[in-house]
Amino acid sequence: MQNSQRITQFVILLVTLNLLWTATAVAEDAVAPQEAELLAVLRSDAPAADKAITCKKLAIYGSAEAVPDLAKLLADPELNSWARIALEAIPGEEADEALRNATESLDGLLLVGTINSIGVRQDAQAVEILSAHLQDADSDVASAAAVALGHVGNASASESLRQALATASLSVRSSIAEGCVLCAESFLADGDSDTARQIYDEVRAADVPLQRVIEATRGAILARKEDEAIPLLMEQFRSPVKQLFQLALGTAREFPGGDVDQALANEMRRTSPERAALIIQAMADRPETVVLTAVLDAARQGPKEVRLSAIEALKRIGDVSCLPSLLEIALETDEDVAGTAKDTLSEIPGDDVDGQILALLPQSEGGMYPLMIELVGRRRLQAVPELIKALESSDNDVRSAALIALGETVNLDRLDVLVNQVVSPDHSDDAPVAQRALKAASVRMPDREACAVMLADAIDQTPSVKTMSALLEILAAVGGTRSLEAVGAAANSADAQLQDTGTRLLGQWMTADAAPVLLDLSKSASDGKYRDRAFRGYLRIARQFVLPEQERVDMCEQAFEMSRRPADQKLVLEVLERYPNAGMLGLAIQAMQTPELKDDATPVVLKIAEKIGGDQKQIIEQLSKAGLEKVKLEIVQAEYGAGTTQKNVTDILQEQVRNFPLITLKSNSYNTSFGGDPAPGVVKELKVRYRIDGKEGEASFAENAPIFLPLPK
Amino acid sequence: MSDTVTQVPRRAFLKSALSVTGTAMLAPTIIPSSALGLDGAVAPSDRIVVGGIGIGNRGTYDLSCFLQQPDVQFVAVCDVKERRRLAVKKIADDHHGNENCDMYRDFRDLLDRSDIDALLIATGPNWHATMAMNAAKAGKDMYCEKPVTKNISQSLILAETMRRTGRVFQAGTQRRNLPHFAFACELARTGRLGKLKKVYAHPAGMQAMMSGWLPPEPEPDREVVDWNMYLGPAAWRPFNEKLLDGFNFEKGGGLVGGGVLEWGSHCVDLCQWAVGDCPPPVEYDPPKDGELVARYENGTELIFREKGWIPLGSCPVRFEGETGWVEAGDSGKIVLSSPELLAGRQVEEIGGYPATFHVRDFLDCVKTRSKPKGNADAACNAHIACHAANIALALDRQVKFDNTTHTFIDDEQANRLRSEALREPWRL
Repeated sequence: MQNSQRITQFVILLVTLNLLWTATAVAEDAVAPQEAELLAVLRSDAPAADKAITCKKLAIYGSAEAVPDLAKLLADPELNSWARIALEAIPGEEADEALRNATESLDGLLLVGTINSIGVRQDAQAVEILSAHLQDADSDVASAAAVALGHVGNASASESLRQALATASLSVRSSIAEGCVLCAESFLADGDSDTARQIYDEVRAADVPLQRVIEATRGAILARKEDEAIPLLMEQFRSPVKQLFQLALGTAREFPGGDVDQALANEMRRTSPERAALIIQAMADRPETVVLTAVLDAARQGPKEVRLSAIEALKRIGDVSCLPSLLEIALETDEDVAGTAKDTLSEIPGDDVDGQILALLPQSEGGMYPLMIELVGRRRLQAVPELIKALESSDNDVRSAALIALGETVNLDRLDVLVNQVVSPDHSDDAPVAQRALKAASVRMPDREACAVMLADAIDQTPSVKTMSALLEILAAVGGTRSLEAVGAAANSADAQLQDTGTRLLGQWMTADAAPVLLDLSKSASDGKYRDRAFRGYLRIARQFVLPEQERVDMCEQAFEMSRRPADQKLVLEVLERYPNAGMLGLAIQAMQTPELKDDATPVVLKIAEKIGGDQKQIIEQLSKAGLEKVKLEIVQAEYGAGTTQKNVTDILQEQVRNFPLITLKSNSYNTSFGGDPAPGVVKELKVRYRIDGKEGEASFAENAPIFLPLPK
Repeated sequence: MSDTVTQVPRRAFLKSALSVTGTAMLAPTIIPSSALGLDGAVAPSDRIVVGGIGIGNRGTYDLSCFLQQPDVQFVAVCDVKERRRLAVKKIADDHHGNENCDMYRDFRDLLDRSDIDALLIATGPNWHATMAMNAAKAGKDMYCEKPVTKNISQSLILAETMRRTGRVFQAGTQRRNLPHFAFACELARTGRLGKLKKVYAHPAGMQAMMSGWLPPEPEPDREVVDWNMYLGPAAWRPFNEKLLDGFNFEKGGGLVGGGVLEWGSHCVDLCQWAVGDCPPPVEYDPPKDGELVARYENGTELIFREKGWIPLGSCPVRFEGETGWVEAGDSGKIVLSSPELLAGRQVEEIGGYPATFHVRDFLDCVKTRSKPKGNADAACNAHIACHAANIALALDRQVKFDNTTHTFIDDEQANRLRSEALREPWRL
């Protein structure tokens, strides 16, 4: 192969380049010159790379004119596949004929590829050629011919394949069976189910791999009339071969009509529990025709795994008629069974189900009462007065269920019920449940400010710091202006526990309006621990939130002013680097003036300078003022690896060189940037020999460290 | 795409899924392990024996999701790169506490193993469809990373092959098993937003790309990197290390592919879910002002939009109906036109697009033979929408697609971009 002098079509090639026109429609007269130019490339001594890309273009713009030139490339091992890209795409008899002709002279892989293309084009005139190749001594060729015949899929193709099925060698038989099944699928799709069935049956009877039998059996079932198909399907359900049983599960879901459902129900009753559980799932995937009573019976009694599967399936297919049985099951002592029944009761759709549950609620007694309350909550039914009444019960389970249900259903106008249960619970045991319920209710209130006002007022009503903290947690989850005020006030209070809770919640606040509160706290909090926490929270907002550019710069400036330790200042530098702009550059240059920060700030300055656009002259002036001059950097040699396993990365590094002694890679990961991990599982190092303004230097960097090259002395 | 993801235990998800949905939204394919006879412990006969092919960065994350599942026994890895074979074997052996993970260079040797039930296919996109179909014909179920196909033809053949072979296929579209995306799609699908007018997907860069033919470099020993197998179905070209990244190599065949396909296979897939997994749009306009508009048969618009998103993380989608809208993204959060749309529900926020639940969905379906969320039919439709959009982008004009014949209407150029020949000996 000739080596192209220019780099050809490197990885990303915008299609809007010269490959394609941007006209709204490509007129016929515009195609011819383009095709002529393309053909000139194929006829020239252009490098193979250029011819390859030309084939791609001909796939769109080539006509019958291009076929002879493309056909010549079929004998070229490097270009065969490129030529076939065009030949498969160009419509018309010429391309078919060229591919057929090529089969006379090619062999091995090139012949296989050509036959595959004939199959894709479904060339009916190639049946004779393909049939002959079924006897090819090269089993890969024979296999390709078999599948190609399957794609052609007509009567003569299927005839050849059916004949070969009985006589072919073992190595080819699987592909012949595949071809047969493809033919049968075509017949079935065209309405000739008799022929399809015959072919499927022949494959099933042949000595072919199990997967071919599976495909043929599926087809054989779907091609038969119901009276024959259902017994065949049941035969698979009863097969000791796991794969055939699995096939039956899948095919049962595809089976048309409603007659099979009763057969499935019967099979489910007679088979092993393990299989019955799976059959129930298949039954439930036929919601229109499923025998619901059979599934309900299986839910009521029998082996546990079958019951669980049936109870779960009722989520999808159950209706109001299942309610009495499911309620009974939900009260059983087996937790798995009862829990699954509750889940199902929560999810069965239907207004009539809702209506019946609401009707049963006031009449319920014993264990049924908390169950009905739970269902009211889980189905989010409106029964607040009944739930409030239930809070008066002496039964802990009833009260807990009522609180949880209120959490799911109460509106703002009765949120006070839950607030009261938190602030002054009638039963102290109820407090944790009430808090969870209040939180669940609060976070779904449409008017969160109004909700926050109620919660904040409740803080004033309780003397308990523990309860206040719980309310603060809920306020933080609700968010909004009033919540922020309340949590900010707690953080500034005199109570240590409230300070702790308040500062923690502010540090996790989900909106940027917490920044001023955190800023104040970081200056004024009495305890250094909380000042630090507030500082980190403030910086978190600068680092993570969507903010106007100038606001983020201002925040970073404030953060520098507030930071007391170099470690904190380094955190601010990280934010500067993450959001490079002129303002951040100024701050980073300022940071360089602090001796303890200079080493960390310098690479940040250079990285920002590299990334930002705008007035480069001004940037360079700024850098010069900061003592950073533009340099000429060359990489002499760079190696990445460990021990004796080293990868030469000189070119990659050189590609990233700019005008400063800092190299920014495409990824923070050396492995990614350098095209892979040269020594997996081992600590690696990057060693660089370089020249800056003609002076040679050398430096080593730990894996993934910033590459800041010291100025050679 | 970043591999930064969050792992969440399944139990937590099942609980949250119930809290999200209240109805059957996430229920169909998940049944208690005890219902399958597992009851906490996993009998050897109930284990799913899994092999992995092309386990690189993303695949390693996927593998971790598989290994979290107690019923998974990972026994074999195949890779054209020796260092990846060794790295994955170490992960698997360390996890299982044995030395049993076998290594293969040629995936056909792995497919020959009758003990392997299911595969994790996480090669580069060049191989996905071809390998998935070879796996199906070998009787394996598979979880296959996206983008799943390189063109429209492959998408159709993939769906047909999975039907014909009876295999369980799960595309790596894990957002279908996350509660907030599920909730957003449910709002759209069930009419709670009113008549659906527009669904928006974020393509993250509407540029088509192709891999080329770079200057030859000395080819490594086949045991170190098997270049022939790496190329696989892609047209031949000489070895060049720059093409070895897998992630971008031959992503989308012909002159199309790239950005719309990379992210569209996620966010367009969600839009497809929102419209009830109906056939893909029938009209595709060329991009204008950062938007590419496609139209479904019923007039609903699918809009590939680059800008104008509420900041909800990567892979955002927006569904607009006559009476409301919802937007969701990878932060795990949703934004609604009205809180009333919640109807009292709380939507569990799971950020970081973990694949754990999607893997579990797949494994459950391997047992029940039900269809997983990212099944081949759903993946086929979503990928066709992406490929057709890319063709409109490449031709820079409107194209019209017929969902009955699966061809472009009176448009030979567009139809020629529906498929691309595979290098010998590969076929679908």
